Parts: sequence; C-alpha cells; structure tokens
Amino acid sequence: MKVYFELMWFFKKEKKAYSTGILALVIVAILQLIPPRIVGMVVDEITGDTLTVTNLIYMILILISNAIALYVLRYLWRISIFGSAVRLARLMRRNLFEHFTNMPISFYQRKRTGDLMAHATNDIQAVQQTAGFGILSLFDSLAQGGAVFIAMLFIDWKLTLIALIPMPIMAILTNFYSNKLYKSFFKAQEAFSDMNDKTQESINGIKVTKSFGQENEEIDSFIEQSEDLLKKNMVVAKVDGLYDPTISFISGLCFILALGFGGYMVVNGDLTIGKLISFTTYLGLLIWPMLAFGFLFNVLERGSASYTRIKQLLAEKMEIADLPTAIDEVPSGNLKYAISSFTYPNCTDPTLESIHFELAKGETLGIVGKTGSGKSTLLKLLMREFDLEDGAVYFGNHELKDYKISNLRSALGYVPQDNFLFSTSIRENIAFANVNAPLEEVEIAAKLANIDEDIKGFSDGYDTVVGERGVALSGGQKQRIAIARALIMNPEVLMLDDSLSAVDAKTEETILRNLKDNREQKTTIITAHRLSAIKHAHKILVLENGKVIQSGTHEELVEKDGWYREMYLMQQLEELVEMGG
Amino acid sequence: MTNQNDTQKIDEWKVLKRLLSYAKSHKLLVLSAFAFLLVTTLGEIFAPLVVKKFIDDHLTKKEFVLEPMLFLAVAFFSIHLVKMFMMYFQFITFQKIALKIIQQLRIDVFSKVQRLGLRYFDQTPAGSIVSRITNDTEAVKDMFVSVIASFVQSAFMITGIFISMFVLNAKLAFFCLSIVPIIYGIIRTYRYYSGTIFRDMRERLSQINAKLAESLQGMSVVQIFRQEERLRSEFEDINDKHYQAVLKNIKLESFLTRPAIDLVAAFSLLILVSFFGVKSINGYIEIGLLYTFVNYIGRFFEPINDVMVRMAMFQQALVAGSRVFTIVDHPELAPAPTKETDSIIDEGDVEFKNLSFSYDGKKDVLKNISFKVKKGETVALVGQTGSGKSSIINVLMRFYDFDRGEILIDGVSIKNYRNSELRSKTGLVLQDPFLFFGTIKDNIRLHNKKLTDEKIIEAAKFVQADQFIEKLEKKYDHEVVERGSTYSSGQRQLIAFARTVAANPKILILDEATANIDTETEEAIQTGLKKLREGRTTIAIAHRLSTIQDANLILVLHHGEIVERGTHQELLTQKGLYYKMYLLQNGLVEQSA
Repeated sequence: MKVYFELMWFFKKEKKAYSTGILALVIVAILQLIPPRIVGMVVDEITGDTLTVTNLIYMILILISNAIALYVLRYLWRISIFGSAVRLARLMRRNLFEHFTNMPISFYQRKRTGDLMAHATNDIQAVQQTAGFGILSLFDSLAQGGAVFIAMLFIDWKLTLIALIPMPIMAILTNFYSNKLYKSFFKAQEAFSDMNDKTQESINGIKVTKSFGQENEEIDSFIEQSEDLLKKNMVVAKVDGLYDPTISFISGLCFILALGFGGYMVVNGDLTIGKLISFTTYLGLLIWPMLAFGFLFNVLERGSASYTRIKQLLAEKMEIADLPTAIDEVPSGNLKYAISSFTYPNCTDPTLESIHFELAKGETLGIVGKTGSGKSTLLKLLMREFDLEDGAVYFGNHELKDYKISNLRSALGYVPQDNFLFSTSIRENIAFANVNAPLEEVEIAAKLANIDEDIKGFSDGYDTVVGERGVALSGGQKQRIAIARALIMNPEVLMLDDSLSAVDAKTEETILRNLKDNREQKTTIITAHRLSAIKHAHKILVLENGKVIQSGTHEELVEKDGWYREMYLMQQLEELVEMGG
Repeated sequence: MTNQNDTQKIDEWKVLKRLLSYAKSHKLLVLSAFAFLLVTTLGEIFAPLVVKKFIDDHLTKKEFVLEPMLFLAVAFFSIHLVKMFMMYFQFITFQKIALKIIQQLRIDVFSKVQRLGLRYFDQTPAGSIVSRITNDTEAVKDMFVSVIASFVQSAFMITGIFISMFVLNAKLAFFCLSIVPIIYGIIRTYRYYSGTIFRDMRERLSQINAKLAESLQGMSVVQIFRQEERLRSEFEDINDKHYQAVLKNIKLESFLTRPAIDLVAAFSLLILVSFFGVKSINGYIEIGLLYTFVNYIGRFFEPINDVMVRMAMFQQALVAGSRVFTIVDHPELAPAPTKETDSIIDEGDVEFKNLSFSYDGKKDVLKNISFKVKKGETVALVGQTGSGKSSIINVLMRFYDFDRGEILIDGVSIKNYRNSELRSKTGLVLQDPFLFFGTIKDNIRLHNKKLTDEKIIEAAKFVQADQFIEKLEKKYDHEVVERGSTYSSGQRQLIAFARTVAANPKILILDEATANIDTETEEAIQTGLKKLREGRTTIAIAHRLSTIQDANLILVLHHGEIVERGTHQELLTQKGLYYKMYLLQNGLVEQSA
C-alpha cells in the first residue's frame, strides 16, 4: 500500500479522473444488485399470482435503464482509471527521458543501455498497472464486496452468515495459490531465459557446431532444455489450474448451504422463493471481489519495487553543471592546456600526466600515439565530458569551467571515433546541430567532407534514411557524414577524433585540404593513427601512457629518431603492402 | 485494400491450421482432454437442473421431505465434486497439449536453424534468429495455453447450454438464440477495429523503444551538439502519440468488450423476465425453469468475455507464428553432398583445382585457386584482410557451396563425401575460439559422448593445456561462463586445441589461431600447435608470419588471387609482397623506403 502514498502526488493531479472513476465503480457495484433482485421480485409475484402487466412493464423498464446506466458507468470508470494510469506512464517516461538527457557521460559508462531501457519500459509498465488495475482491484473489491454483502444481509442476516461459512476457505486457498503461482512462475521464467541463453549461444557458436558436425547433438541438448522448460511450465499450469475448480467447488458448497437453509426458511415462511433466488445470485457476485483482492497484492508488490527503481534512477545527480558565476559568452581565442594529472572516475591510474601546451587561434594540432595513450581524453576534457581537478584548460581569456556548458559546446564541433549516426535521413543527420539549416548549407558541409557525391548517388539523395531501415553505409561514409555534421556548425574548434581512419588516402587528403581552405582563423584538433592525417598540422604531440613524449612539426619529427619517425617509415611500408607489393 | 485484408486473413487461417496440426501427434491427450471437458460441461449443465427440481418439487410446493431432498443434495454435491476434479484434469491436459505443441514447434525451428547454411547466419542478425526461436514461440504459447484452450471450453459450454435450453423449452431457447448474432456482430466489429488500433499501439511502442535506445546510445553526440531540448520534444511527441494510441485502445475495449457483453447479458435477462412474466400472466410456469434459464444465461457470457479479452493476443500470436514458419520453411540449407558415397578420408591429402568462388554471384572473392597439400604437410595462407583467406576455409569446410573448380580430398571431390565424414575428419580452430557455457570438460568433449574423461585429459595434456587447467580450482570440471570470458584468449585457444585433438581429425584448419594471444600462453600455444600438426594435413591462415615459417608451402593472397607461392626462405628472397609483410611485422624498416 505504501506505493499508493508515494503516488499521491499523481492521484492529486488526476483528482477529477480518479474520483469520477471510483464513484462510477461504486455506483456500478450498487446497480449490479438490481437485476438479481428484480428476478427475485418477478418470481415472488409469479408464485403469489400478483404479477400484472403494468408491474411487468415497470420492472422491464427498470432493467432497461439499469442496463444502459451500467454500460455508461462501466465505460466511464475504465476510461477514467485506465486513462489516468496511461497518463502516469507517459509522464514518468517523459521525466525519465529528460533526466537521461541531463546525465553526464560517466553515467552512461556506469549503466548498461539494456538496464536503462528496462527501467523505461518494464518498470513503468508495472507502475502503470499499479495505478490502473491496482486501483480498480482495490476499490472494486471493496465496493462490490461490500455492496453485495450488505444486500445479502438485508435479505436475511442469518442466512448470510451460514452461507458464507466456506468463503474464507476460498480466500485462504486462492491466496495460497497465488503465492505458489508466483514462485513457480518465476522458475518458469528462469527456465525460459535459460533457453533463451542456450539459443543465443547456439546461434553464436554455430560455426563450431557445424565444423564439428554436431548439429544433431546440439538439437538433442536443446530438446533437453525445452523439456526442462515444459516441466516448469507444467508446474505453473498445475497451480494455475487449481483456481477454477476450487472456486467452483467452494461456491458450490455455499450454494448448497444457502439452498438448504434458505429452502427451510422458505418452507417455514420466513423467506420468499424470489428472495432466495436473488440471494443465490448474489453469492456468485462475491467471487470476483475476493479474487481481485489477491491480485491486488501481486500488483502492488511489483509496482512498488519498480517505482523504487525509477526513483533511484531519477535521484542520480548531474555531475557536471554550470557554475553559478558562469559567464554568458561564447568562448573564442587561444587554447591552453595546463594539466598536472587527470584520472577517470573509478580508476586508479592517471590517464593524463603533465600535459602543457598552447595552441593559437586558427592553428591545427595533431595528436598521435598508441590506443589508450590518452588522445581522446584530451578532447573529452575540452568538451567537459569530465572535469579536471588537478589542472585547467583555458579557452580564450577564461578557464573552461567559467563558461556556460552550452556556450562552450556551441564553439566546439566534434567528430567522434565511433561515428554514431541516428536512424533518420542523411540531411537530418548532417543538420543535427541546426535542424532548420537550408539544404544548401547541408550540401556545402557535405561537399567539404567529400561525401556529397556519395549521397547524391543514393536513391533518395539527402533524404535517404540511415541505419537498419535504410541504406547501409560503409565506415568511411559514416565518418564523412559525421564530419559534415560537425562542419555545418562552423565551429571555433573542430575536433576529429581518429575520424579519418576508414577513408582512403586520397579522400583524406581532399578533406584535409578542404578544411585548410575553409577554416581560416578557426582551430582544428586531429587525433589519428595514420600520420598522413596530421602531417600538415602546425603542431604535433606524440602521446605515450598519458604523457607527451615528442612534439614539433612533421618535418622536425621525421628527422629525429624516435616513435614518430619509426611509425612514419612503418606506415609507408604498410601502404605498399596494401597496394599489393 | 479489401484484397490485402483478405490475403492476410487466409494466411492467418493457414498459420492457425498449421499450428493446430501439431496436435495430431498427441491424439491420446487430445482425446482425454475432450473427455474431461465433456464431463465438466455436463456438470455445469446438470447442476442447475438439480436446483430446478428442488425448486419445483419442494420449494414452490413447500414440501420438505427428507429423503428425496437429501438425494438432491447428495447429487448436487457429487456433481460439484466430480466437476472439480474434471475441471482440473481438463485444464492441465489442455495445458500439456499446448506446451507440448510449443515444445515441438521450438524444436522444429531450432533444428531447422541448425541445418541452415552459414550464408543465412551472415545475412541475419543473431538477435533476430534467437527472437524467432524464443519470443515468437512464446507468443504462440500464450495463445495456445490461454486463447485456444478457453476457446474450445467456451464452445463446448455454449453448445451444451443451448442443447439443454432446447430440451427444456424450445421456444424460449429460440428466443435466447437471437443473442448469438448480436454477440457475433460485436466480436466482428471489435476484431475489425482492434486489429488496426492494436497494431498502431504496438508500432508506437516500438517507436518509443527505438527512440529511447538510440538516444541512450548516442547521448554523447546529443549533448556535445546541445540537442537535448530537441530530443526531448521529439521524444515527447512520440510518447504522446503512443499515449493517444493506448487511450484509443482503452476506449475501444471499454466500448465493445466487457461492458458491451454485459449489456447484452442484461438484455437477455430482459427477454427471460418478459417471457416468463407474460407467460405467467397467461397461465402456469415452473419457477425452476426460470431459475435454470437465468443461471444458464449467467454462465453463457463468462467464456465470451474471456475470449474477447484475448482476441488481440490471438492476432499477435498468429503473426508471431507466421514468422516462425518462415524460418521453418527457409530454403537456405547448408550445402549437401551432390552424390552421397561412402568414401572415407584415410590420408587427408587436399587439392584445390582452379577454384573460383563468389558470395553474391557478382564479385569473385577467390579466383583460380590451385594448390596441393599432403598428409603431414602444412600450407599457410597469408594476405591482408579481404584477400580471400577466410573464403578458402568457408568453401573447404562446405559452409558455402561453390560451382567453379574443384576441391579434392584423397582424390575425391569434397562434394561426394557425406557431411558427417567431412566434418569428423576436418578440425577447424577459429581465431576467436568459441566456448560454450558449461565446464572445461564439456568444452573439450563437445557432445561427443564416446570421449572418456581420460581421453579428454590426454588431449589437454597433448596440447599442453593441462598446465593451466590443473591450476584451476575444479580442474577439468571448472565452470566456463558465457563465451568463456573469464579465461584469457590464449587459454581459450588451448581449450579449442584440446577440443580439436580430442576429435582427432585428419585435416587441420587453423583460422588465424594465433592472432591474439597473450605472452603468458604463447609458448604453450606454439608447442601445442606443433604437436597438433603432427601427422595431419594442415591449412593455416596466419596473421603472424612468425608462426608459419616452417610451412611446406606459403600462399600469398591478394584480392582473391595467389600472387606469390613458396617456402618462407624462397619468398623472402623474392623480395615481393611477403617480404614487405615480413618486414612490417618485425618492425624492420627497409632502408630504401
């Protein structure tokens, strides 16, 4: 029940819908009592030979209006209660999404996408059930159960007490079943996910299976697994199957008691046949409230756990935020790195150590080094995906932290390593930072990134959709679209994070020339494995284990013995091999 | 439009029929389920009749005679008792049939998948295959256990009730029959609209999930480009459309399902009351009959409500079922022998004769490949990524069929060997050895029950995998988690070697088996490999040239062609592509460069 108090803010917000729905439920519970009573009255008038045409018409009219009223009210409570529950789901989904957009990169490194997805789908679903079906079960069992019970008391209180003797047994048994069902259901779910894992593994290992010629054995082991699942599902069925027979038998017992004692009372003249018939019909109406109460506990248990998980997720803080004193100015000017050391959260060894250099506005910086040497980290710090504690980076006249994050980022165009594209049209992907950019601008950016011709070759040109449902792009094409996406911003600082790795040498050269020609007075930072990408940079840094081991221009570095020269010669050889000797 | 709907309907029927045909192999179960169901239904129908007799013979006449009354009470009680057991048996028998059908369906689709050609797996994402085998069949299961069983039960019940009604009072029964077309109309209307609305709802939901997944994956891009606000409003838009779709569904359900059926139930009560009322004014009626009819009508509508609630699930499940059947019917089978002979591979001499091969029928990835390798010899394939090395293995292992040129083993075309012979005499060691969930022993044995534990240990010792296995807590029974991720790549490779030794193949195929190993196991791997090759024909794809220096023949591939061939020394003196690759790998820089 605790979860209902926690959800009170929402119930208050949807006060009107919930009170309408609950009121409708209560009226339905009362109106439901009328038809059995009418049947009873008709029976009594028939046996007493007092039935007249007017009476009959009168009762028929009551039945008709009652039926229509019930229909309207039932429609109403469904719309009100279930509708509100769906609104709750919508609201929570929105809040969660908004929260996701505010979470820093470190959050996404800690959490798995699958888990986050599960929160936004399954957990919200469970809370929705609590606010919809849960509320229905709660009020319906109270209203219908109460109304029927009172109506029975009105017919005869002694008969009521006697007839209801077996009912608590039913409540106890069904409750017992639902606990058992829950457990066996859980086991069946586990068996299902085992089978899922098995299948997954089998598909991934299909090459091994085929090369050892063991398809049949693999099938046999799957059969075994499916046998286990069958058994566990049968356990569920065996428990699940207990409900109906139990309910039918126990309500049968109540029925015998009611008929026996009721019949005795009828013969004694203490009760009319009509009333007895009404009474037995009421007995049937008691079954649902009793079941609903059992369901309620399961729904609440799940809903409460899910709601807690969602709340925990929403409680995650934004780690990187604007300082209260942040200046409202788009940064521009020279870049200056003064880093003593930088360590990623939850890591022990520093990723960067004593990095000090300056880059004048309009210059190009090349950063090279092995994987894991800290190249990308230098870029990430500039974007403030992480904040420095020991050291600072200056942009123009201020430290990075002094700018508003959105201002800082508006000065930065980033082309990430994994060149992530969204599954929308190519045009929308390129115009990502400025959705309203006219097609000409998109084309200019695409031309600079040397992808314009490729795009025009697709059947839908710039409207071609990217990804699973659209065209499958090569790695090089993706990279160039990602470059165009950054270029359309015409940023103060353009960062290419190993973003030319999948394009061939000629294309690389074209793109680099385009950048040089079109980005006067703008800064560019390029990290790369292939030295050709940074050959023309004003300054080159060679990183190893987070430290700068060499720096200078290409011409200077090639002359000196060391990592850079070695790499340079090696890559020339590699080029030859690639060309086939 | 109507045409399209019609074809879809025919398909649905076909899928349903095909699913139901699975029940044929469980005739006995089906028969007993129906027998139980018959008894249950009879109980449901006779219990009100007992009450009817009680009302008519005793209550209305106000005659309380113990003996016949006791008899009625006992009858009523026994009917309920029998019904209780029958209901239970009937339920679990139906469940059992449903679950068995699903099990068979799962086994069928799984077996089919095992027999599909590798081409299929290259083209289809693993996730979608798994989803067909598990999730889609699960949807079909839900339909079978809840929808079909309850549908059959409802049909029995409704038929039983009408028969009884006709026996009791044909005229009134006829009146009651008039509600059947009304209900049919409601169901049809609901089905008509719910199909579209339900599909719309599912579609919106999957849009939400897709948007969410994509946004989570691309959040860094979103944030760097400061598009959080836009993404939020885009998400809100989809979220809202989903809400509208769900609301529409709720409205439709409220309009046409339970409340509507309850309305019809209320009107049928109206028919009864008016019928009996009018009749009683004109003459005598039995109260018991009135009671029985009211009772029957009450029972009549419950199963209908049940069926309607599950209607949407029903359509969902048929769609899922048809997806499962597309795999079961998939024609992309693994290559089979063209002429099945009992040829046995004794020596394991392999010869490629002018072999050309293409995956898509357009671009040749192998061009005119010819080479020969004898028992005890090693041929090594080197070349850049995409040069065609792996394709040679794909055709040799008969993962893919080829049509130009020939591959001979012991002088016989590989197309003439049974697949089982071919597979048992060739051992493939992959670059990233795949380990299965289980134990080390399981992974060496791989379903081959004939392998004793001694043989397994022997195999492990032979390739020197025993060194690290012995250090494990449970040794050969040590657990292997999914994909063996707790072992280093070198250790995984050693297990794969042991696996291959245990299978004792004549021809050994190494697919970059030493590409990524750690220094710790390097030595063990090299010795293991050497021993593995003893007395076998070896075809090795090598990334690291140092591992193949003692090969009898090295083939250098470039764009699907053999551009250089010879021994290590010969190729070095040629100073061609191989020589350059060799320099590159050894970090030696040619002075002239």
